[in-house]
Amino acid sequence: MGNGIWRISRARGRAHLPLAVVGALAVILILFGKAQSSLFDRARTDVIDWMRPALVATRLPMEAMSRWAGSIGNIFWVYQENLKLKEENARLKQWHNTAQVLTERLQRYQLLLNAVPDPALSTVVARVIGRANHPFLQTMILDAGKANGVKPGQAVMDQRGMIGRVYLTGEHTSWVILLSDLNSRVPVSIEPNTDQAIMGGDNSPMPVIETLAHGVQLKADSQVVTSGDGDILPAGIPIGVIVPDGRRYRVALFADQTMAQDVQIVDYKIKPEHPPSVAQQELPVTAAGLAPEAPQPQITQQQQVAPLPPPVFKPPAAVPQKTPGQAAPQPGSDAETGNQ
Amino acid sequence: MERLGSLWGGKFFANLIPVLFGILGVIVTNLPFSVLGNWIPSPMYALMPIYYWCLVRPDLMTPGWAFLIGVAHDVISGEPPGIWAAAFVATYAAIDKQRDAFAGLSGLGAILGFATATLVACSVHYVIFSLYRWHLMPVTGSIKEFAVTSILYIPVVVILAYMHRRFVGPLRREF
Repeated sequence: MGNGIWRISRARGRAHLPLAVVGALAVILILFGKAQSSLFDRARTDVIDWMRPALVATRLPMEAMSRWAGSIGNIFWVYQENLKLKEENARLKQWHNTAQVLTERLQRYQLLLNAVPDPALSTVVARVIGRANHPFLQTMILDAGKANGVKPGQAVMDQRGMIGRVYLTGEHTSWVILLSDLNSRVPVSIEPNTDQAIMGGDNSPMPVIETLAHGVQLKADSQVVTSGDGDILPAGIPIGVIVPDGRRYRVALFADQTMAQDVQIVDYKIKPEHPPSVAQQELPVTAAGLAPEAPQPQITQQQQVAPLPPPVFKPPAAVPQKTPGQAAPQPGSDAETGNQ
Repeated sequence: MERLGSLWGGKFFANLIPVLFGILGVIVTNLPFSVLGNWIPSPMYALMPIYYWCLVRPDLMTPGWAFLIGVAHDVISGEPPGIWAAAFVATYAAIDKQRDAFAGLSGLGAILGFATATLVACSVHYVIFSLYRWHLMPVTGSIKEFAVTSILYIPVVVILAYMHRRFVGPLRREF
């Protein structure tokens, strides 16, 4: 790689001036980005929206290559893997039956107790079209954005558990900050005592339990779920299990952030809780043995907004002289309408 | 050998190859594909064409292009703006200052030369990021990034050298 092979051009002198200029530009960009981060974020989302087709197109061959590369290694373990999966399948079938029975029982109990149901969670399925794994940053780019109803703060999960949160949305793309990222902080609840804590990322595959009540001792393999504090994330999304690490606790995530290709963005909408409708027998008036007042005729909105017919002038009809013994005109009769 | 650079359009395209490789490096770095899993950060593929063509064709890989490749890296990776741009410009300045020393290296020495440039880029990135966050960041990620980028330069430089010989070539006045 010496001069003799490629005849290095020597244009060092000409590069000095632009070097100083672009160095100054880089510093200005850093300062400007620090002061106006929202402006740069908008530019970033616009650029990624524009690049989205290219990222989607590049993703497909890479995904195929990834599968191919992964399958080569798996060939050597097919037999052992098959035996292991059969055993696991048999065990999971038993758990499946147990789960079905317990779910039905839970539904019956909820019905009996008139329990408020969990808030409805709708999801948007998105594909991962970009992933940054840098020393101080771990993010994903998804191919769903504002046009699909994605909003910052929403939880992102795969079929096993939570992966991260949306922090920036473009029109057709969105950025996800992963749970393992340095800037990630998520309020969690640790089963079975529902110990409240904050889970923070440190760019290692297993995030750390950062804030925990004094004296609380956690057990290994305790399940960690979202606590729902702050009303940003729904409660109960599975995250992982506790792994002791010296004097600290880490969380082994259920979701595989490196392999996730299709994810769900959880749209958390808290439905307003309406009080249950009051039965007629529960009214105090009814309980006192009094008849309730006749209900007032309700005017529907359609009736309220319906335009009134224009006023029509009616000439005053000649009132016939009433004679004793003459009956009053009946509604609709000729005398009432004035027709003689 | 008939180069692509013989035609005007082809020459224009050939002159863009270093920059296109830089942009390609940015995209490949941020693709949702990981050979090494989550344990090792993505290598800085974008630094490889910057280093290579800064040595062999600095007229095609100017500081401006290094800056723009860095900005593209900032945009796609989601990092705060300007940090990678500043790191790449600082690395370019280091390479430019020691071009004779770097260009004279061959074999393992050339790999060590690139490792030195990578060390500069990682160090500048670490310092700027720590200043930006006003917090001393963990250094392990940067060390891993430095190691994986230096090792992966070996296969990538073969591709870069082929592209340079086949399409770009040296400056005409140097024949």
